[in-house]
Amino acid sequence: MSAPTDTVARAAGPGRATGSRGGHLTRKRRLFWPFMIPALGLYLAFLVLPTLATVVLSFTKWAGSGDTPEPNGVDNYVQMWNNDSFQYSFQNTLIYVFAGGIGTFLLAFLFTMVLRDMRGGKAIRAILFFPNIVAPVALGMFLGFVFKYQPGKQGLANFMLEHVGASAAKFLDPANVTWVVTASIIWASSGFFITILMAAVDRIPPYLYEDADLAGASPWQKFRNITLPLTWDVIGVAGVLWTINALKIFELVFVLAGPGTYSPPNQAWTLGIYVFDRTFGSNGTPDFGAACACAVAMIALVSFLVVLLRRLMRRDVIQF
Amino acid sequence: MRVARGRSGKLSVLTVGAAVSLVLAGCGSGADTTAGGGENALPGVQQYLDAPCPEAGTKPQTDKEFTYWSMWTADEPQGKVLQKAFKCFQDKTGVKVDVQWLGRKAYTQNLAPALNTDNVPDLFDQDVSKVGAAIMTPGGTQGVDDVFAMKVGEGDKTVKDVLSPSSYDFPQNKDKEGKNFMVPYTLQSSAWWYNKDKVAVKDFAEPKTMTELTALFDKAGKSAISLDGDIPFYNMYYFTQLAERYVGPGGLYKAATDKTGQSWKTDPGFLKAATETAKLPKYLIDGWDAAKFPQIQQRWADGDSSYLYVGSWAPSETREYLDKQGSGQKINYGSFQFPKPDGATHDTVEQMSIGFSVTKKAKHAEGAKAFMAYFLNKDILSGIPAVADNLVPRTDLAVPDDLKALKTVMDDPKKEHVLQYDGIDGIAGGKWQTDVFDPADTSLLKGKLDPQQFVDQLAAKGAGFWKTQG
Repeated sequence: MSAPTDTVARAAGPGRATGSRGGHLTRKRRLFWPFMIPALGLYLAFLVLPTLATVVLSFTKWAGSGDTPEPNGVDNYVQMWNNDSFQYSFQNTLIYVFAGGIGTFLLAFLFTMVLRDMRGGKAIRAILFFPNIVAPVALGMFLGFVFKYQPGKQGLANFMLEHVGASAAKFLDPANVTWVVTASIIWASSGFFITILMAAVDRIPPYLYEDADLAGASPWQKFRNITLPLTWDVIGVAGVLWTINALKIFELVFVLAGPGTYSPPNQAWTLGIYVFDRTFGSNGTPDFGAACACAVAMIALVSFLVVLLRRLMRRDVIQF
Repeated sequence: MRVARGRSGKLSVLTVGAAVSLVLAGCGSGADTTAGGGENALPGVQQYLDAPCPEAGTKPQTDKEFTYWSMWTADEPQGKVLQKAFKCFQDKTGVKVDVQWLGRKAYTQNLAPALNTDNVPDLFDQDVSKVGAAIMTPGGTQGVDDVFAMKVGEGDKTVKDVLSPSSYDFPQNKDKEGKNFMVPYTLQSSAWWYNKDKVAVKDFAEPKTMTELTALFDKAGKSAISLDGDIPFYNMYYFTQLAERYVGPGGLYKAATDKTGQSWKTDPGFLKAATETAKLPKYLIDGWDAAKFPQIQQRWADGDSSYLYVGSWAPSETREYLDKQGSGQKINYGSFQFPKPDGATHDTVEQMSIGFSVTKKAKHAEGAKAFMAYFLNKDILSGIPAVADNLVPRTDLAVPDDLKALKTVMDDPKKEHVLQYDGIDGIAGGKWQTDVFDPADTSLLKGKLDPQQFVDQLAAKGAGFWKTQG
């Protein structure tokens, strides 16, 4: 089968490839824009322009239902900052980014220390990844049952607590739910980061570890002196991924902290829920201007955190 | 997922999707029933669906079709009633209804954004507060006063002749030109619900004072009241019900929209209402504040608690739950209102109208309006009580047994009618409730604020809210 194709290719090849190397470059340059424009056009139309529109609309008052946006300066931002619901959303989002991030990465590091030279490590890695394949909404619904509080008919979590003699906890109380969600997210996402980090660990030449073993290094010393420095760039990228994911946490809180249709109590909100509530209105007129202002704040926050993280993580790349 | 409910706790597509995933994961209860099936079936469902179609009183001259975006889903009882109505309407007038079953959030998630375009439905429905806030205010509706003069297909009777005036003739149903923008087909109210077979001892009498009410709860034992505390609208009933009796219709709305917030303090009725409200939390079932709707309501249906304060959709929802449980358990539904507390001067009952509206840009308004009149024909509208177990704004139709006590109160001419929650849930697009009322209300019910602190917080946070609203 391959022979005739090859013949055809060879026959056609020289015919087209007449001329010098310069001609090839010229043609390449000529093709640059025809190939570039569709991608650039789509990117502009579906990402850059909507983002710019969001910024512009954040300085207007607009119900978004047939009326015309009216400029109102920085009013949306001032209102937002003075708003209790926004304050809760902002604080909770930071809790998810930092408490959730620290928890997730501690867990991920712990597993990279243990999994590397553990028998069946590959299988365990796959199992740890499982929570990632479940949609967050389904996870939220499921955890709603797990964290159920009903004396005599407790959910799994309280059943176990009572089984070991502790008293049942009101996990879904709006005052506690942020921490319950943080724990759930750590549980759900650490598998993802373990997978990424382990891929980086697998690249490290095994003789480095063998050498360390011969020198009698403890697992912590191996982690501190080999794994960490040699996976540093990957950890940095994973940190950025985490920050972006944590900032847009929405579904899990929405279904776990509330009835699943209406926004949960504002004590449990995240910035994503704030945008949703202002866009679709808890009970009436949407406020697109306010929603856009919060979306802009989210972009600013994520940019700030990512730049900060990149700065903190900046090191010379170690070649190996 | 057949749930008939107005104000609160509606199951979204989101939830249904997730529930489906759970069922797939093996956690579902399995037993599913179609509308009206099962041992808790309402009599007369099949009879209604099989009945012949009534003649249309008003036939569109030009329109051959119109589009309708529904707040119901096709498999809900209301959806079944509407489908029968569409079929009959097409039989009798030749007008085809192009329906999209979008669910309760259709008005904000589908209709409101669509108002920016010309691609809008001709007909849609929701409760009057929601339509007023989200669709009428930005100019999305047209007046429907002409519908009131249309014949419903019962001789010369018009829409105006068959509807009770209190269901549509109130300020919240008027657009900027003073025209009505909604024609109701369902009424909702709220009540204390109990199982007559379980609670009613021989000397049971509807409580006339707060002392009698709390005495009932004392008798009920530790878990007297079920409350799904994750739904703010449910937590809101207690204080608003009592406050309405002190300050009358419009009083709560006035205080909530007072830019200085001082009304909460100057009218002593609010503090009294808060004081009465603070007597109730000790009767709430353990776990109400870590609830996941509808678990606590189901605990009431299971008999874990004796009383439940929610809307008139309580029987249809809990009936469905018991049906799905398949345990053969039944509830003999009884209901009563909050008593008039000491010193209160208003004998009120809450009411909420759900109805049809026509969009401003509707291309087939004529067809849509003719259908609005046709749906009120007694042979069509009777499906709402018969199939959906809900109340209608006509006084001459059969009332579901579960709702008879409530309907009697609502039809009582001596009662003052108040819009549900006095309309404070729609203030500033719902933001006032979320930011100011709900946190204070939850704290009052949890005992974190005493009545005086509650009133002070409403005043302070309310003033702060209005300052930032500009």
